[in-house]
Amino acid sequence: MSNEKRHRVSRRQFLTYTLTGVGGFMAAGMLSPMVRMALDPALEAGADSEFVSIGISEDELTDEPQRVDFQMELEDGWYTSEQARSAWIYKEGDEIIALSPTCTHLGCTVNWDSNENFPEQFYCPCHDGRFERDGTNIEGTPPTRPLDIYDVEVRDGAIYLGQINQRS
Amino acid sequence: MRWTQAHIQTYQQAREYVDTAIIPLIPLQWGKSEKQIITMGEFTGYLSESLEKQFTGRVFLLPSFTYLTSESMEERVKRLKAWDNHFYQEGFKYIIYVTSDAEWKAAEKKLPDELLWMPASSPDSLEASQFKRLIEQQVEQIMPIFTAKWQSEPLSREN
Repeated sequence: MSNEKRHRVSRRQFLTYTLTGVGGFMAAGMLSPMVRMALDPALEAGADSEFVSIGISEDELTDEPQRVDFQMELEDGWYTSEQARSAWIYKEGDEIIALSPTCTHLGCTVNWDSNENFPEQFYCPCHDGRFERDGTNIEGTPPTRPLDIYDVEVRDGAIYLGQINQRS
Repeated sequence: MRWTQAHIQTYQQAREYVDTAIIPLIPLQWGKSEKQIITMGEFTGYLSESLEKQFTGRVFLLPSFTYLTSESMEERVKRLKAWDNHFYQEGFKYIIYVTSDAEWKAAEKKLPDELLWMPASSPDSLEASQFKRLIEQQVEQIMPIFTAKWQSEPLSREN
């Protein structure tokens, strides 16, 4: 009997608990979307491995590097912009290789097999930088690291490219 | 490289590799046929930017050289020569003037370095993507002009 008595809650206490609880839920309901919105760009930025379709299918690829141009959406905070990107893409056996065309020396655009003195190589017209077919920089030319490489994914036969990775 | 703070820092670290400047020549006129004039300017601008993108490690794109169409050719050439001379003295051994204004063609011989004249096609007659493709094709055709220029000795300035 005395046990029951100790646990008795007064009307005032009951109302205080109830109001605090309900008020707390209401405050949380209002604040959580705000916090979510504020953090949203920060959370998105972590997901930089988004893949975009480049409008070419797997069976269009050969072992000869071909150039594809595509658009990639860049997000900087809330600001989204379209950026033109290119890749040199080819098949090495079963593997698909997509190289960035940006010369690792000073950023000019390299072309495949474009200089008759250097067939079957990527050639940079600015300072005669050269790269092997797999993107490896050729000793004795200005670039000091290989061409950057894209993450590649195949979905239903279509090629998707992701982020660009530096190699050393 | 472009006329921005970020690029000037890159330039300072790679100065010996950057020996070419592009100056877009852009006419101004209002009140009559401003549409053609703007088309010329827009085309010249896109073309210069694509060239800069292709050759970014060796080429510096300068701000546009603008002039009223009423300005005499003699005066324009004089002003352009002053620009040219300034940048030449500062280490740009090759300077390329890009324009769609055919009037420069007549004065080509008086210019100290290379004039690149391309007739403007109007962007509004084409889809944006087609227009880009067109400019890229033109850049591909212009590339040999740059590489040939780099194989030859820089033109000397008379002063």
